[in-house]
Amino acid sequence: MEDEHDEVAALLRSMQPPEVRGDFVARVNARIDATAGWLGLADFRVWTIRLAPALAALLLVAVFWQAPASSASAASTSTAAAAQFSPASSADWQQDVTGDALLDAALAPGDGGRGR
Amino acid sequence: MDPDRELVEAAAAGSRDAFDELVRRHQTAMLMLARVLTGGRGDADDLAQEVFVRAWRSLRGFRGESTFRTWLHRVAINVIRTSQAKEGRLRRLFATRAADEPFDPPAAGEPVDAVLARRQVIERALGTLPGELRVPLTLRDVQGLDYKEIAALMNVPIGTVESRIFRARQRLKPLLEPLWKTNTTK
Repeated sequence: MEDEHDEVAALLRSMQPPEVRGDFVARVNARIDATAGWLGLADFRVWTIRLAPALAALLLVAVFWQAPASSASAASTSTAAAAQFSPASSADWQQDVTGDALLDAALAPGDGGRGR
Repeated sequence: MDPDRELVEAAAAGSRDAFDELVRRHQTAMLMLARVLTGGRGDADDLAQEVFVRAWRSLRGFRGESTFRTWLHRVAINVIRTSQAKEGRLRRLFATRAADEPFDPPAAGEPVDAVLARRQVIERALGTLPGELRVPLTLRDVQGLDYKEIAALMNVPIGTVESRIFRARQRLKPLLEPLWKTNTTK
């Protein structure tokens, strides 16, 4: 039984290897290049490593684009707020003003139409 | 020690020259494996190429836990299985292939000693085995992998590999008998 198995194994081992075409390596390379174009985009490692500079550039653009916009909007907001602000009296922002004085100033007629 | 280690490291770092050398070292083995596992069909060359394309794409994921040769065999078996699964679906839709016909071993007196005919007989005989027997037998007796490598590659215990190879040889024996009778009578 063991000998028969050895004979089968020897027969399989003696199989003549197939002849490899001379341009096998070149054809493999051509195939790799052909798939690299569109399939490479699906490779997450390409996205995380090779596209890191592009990501950094995008972030910089986003930061610089946001910065002037936000400062411009902040300036316009503060200007509008200043224009609308009409204090009841200069006593409004004096720290040592008493509560009664503040109430009198707020209730006094005139002064921006506030009060009664 | 993996004899391919330096080339694998260089190829994983992006060297196409190193990868070309790996292809040259293993192309015969991969073509042989594809031929045997596909029953000697004409698309073995195409499958062998696909094995190397997949290997190139997955090379950075190769951690060196096995030799490159063993890893490449695993890639090859996955490629061939995927291809056969696709083909099986197509075959169910269309006609049967010649390889599905019952195996008719050559008579002892027939001139089966020609290299080509001999290979065809062996490939057809192997083609009659179910995949679970054909793969380990091919890896052992045709590709020369050891039991431990085959077990790791197939994710089964070594004992399972041994018993499958034993059963495969048992089933092949009557089919290949005419070949070694021809050899011994010469």
